Amino acid sequence: MFTILYAVAGYFFLMLMVRLLTRRPGAQMTMFEFVIVFLVGGVIILAVTGGDRSITNCGMAILTVGLLHNIVAWTKARSARFGAIVDGTPLVLLKDGAWVDEVMRGMKMAPEDIMAAARMKGINSIFDIKYAILERNGTISIIKAKKETA
Amino acid sequence: MSDVAFSKPVQDSVPKINDEVAVGEDLGFQRKWWKFETLMWWVIAFILVLNFAGFLGRGPMAHAMLSNDAMIVKYERVERTGTPSILEVQFQPATLGKGLVKLHVSQSVVNELGAQRIIPSPLDTAVGRGGLTYTFTTEEAPGSVQFALQPSKPGIFHFTLEVPGSAPLSARVVVMP
Repeated sequence: MFTILYAVAGYFFLMLMVRLLTRRPGAQMTMFEFVIVFLVGGVIILAVTGGDRSITNCGMAILTVGLLHNIVAWTKARSARFGAIVDGTPLVLLKDGAWVDEVMRGMKMAPEDIMAAARMKGINSIFDIKYAILERNGTISIIKAKKETA
Repeated sequence: MSDVAFSKPVQDSVPKINDEVAVGEDLGFQRKWWKFETLMWWVIAFILVLNFAGFLGRGPMAHAMLSNDAMIVKYERVERTGTPSILEVQFQPATLGKGLVKLHVSQSVVNELGAQRIIPSPLDTAVGRGGLTYTFTTEEAPGSVQFALQPSKPGIFHFTLEVPGSAPLSARVVVMP
């Protein structure tokens, strides 16, 4: 029974920690963030399974986390507010050639992060970006500025 | 002909930026979340300070001591599930030197606090009075007995130790998950 309770607590604790670590542990992971995700994940595994390493115990933990994940996904699909709490909301980082400073600071983003996403789209100048949007999954969407024709 | 039923028309419900890019940004929610984030980091820092101090076990504030004319008991008032610890009973000089000393421990020391072994091994163990009475051979002071504990479940538990003929010593132990 304790394994199930620990799995529930571990799931929500990890969800909170990942949310508090902002959205960078999503798609914009650097080696630094990989360390955090693996370290936190490893520690949670130890706490959830405890000294009982039987297949039954580990299976119960996996089933509990799987069921919880399904419930959270189901609730997210039906409640926009719950979705925003779990995944966050898309945020505009750059708009019409100007940084949205409040969001950049709040999300601990640097211009280099935006330019990394821009280069993936074949854009090599910040002035060619019209919008940069931090998506809920942690990726940065880039929308090109239209070239003015003479 | 397709059997798929389309019952809900598509609506342009996602809020737009500059009336051209549908993003669905909710900056009001995000501002509240940043405040919550800041609060949570303070809470986390506070929990870490409590942990360093030992309020969550294995620190200076977790160590506790009881004493009477027969013994001094050193124990952890906050334990952690599955984590080994030592409960030490130091016998007072008056208790030792009689050749034998008896120590009665409540059943909770074995059941809830998970006594794994006793160092040194007792000469004899008697069951009864809601616990176990161990008999140790003794020489001159100082002398002590250690119980290696490893609680298997979280909760708040009480234990009692008694050298027959002296007042019992009782304490409460909080076992963290």
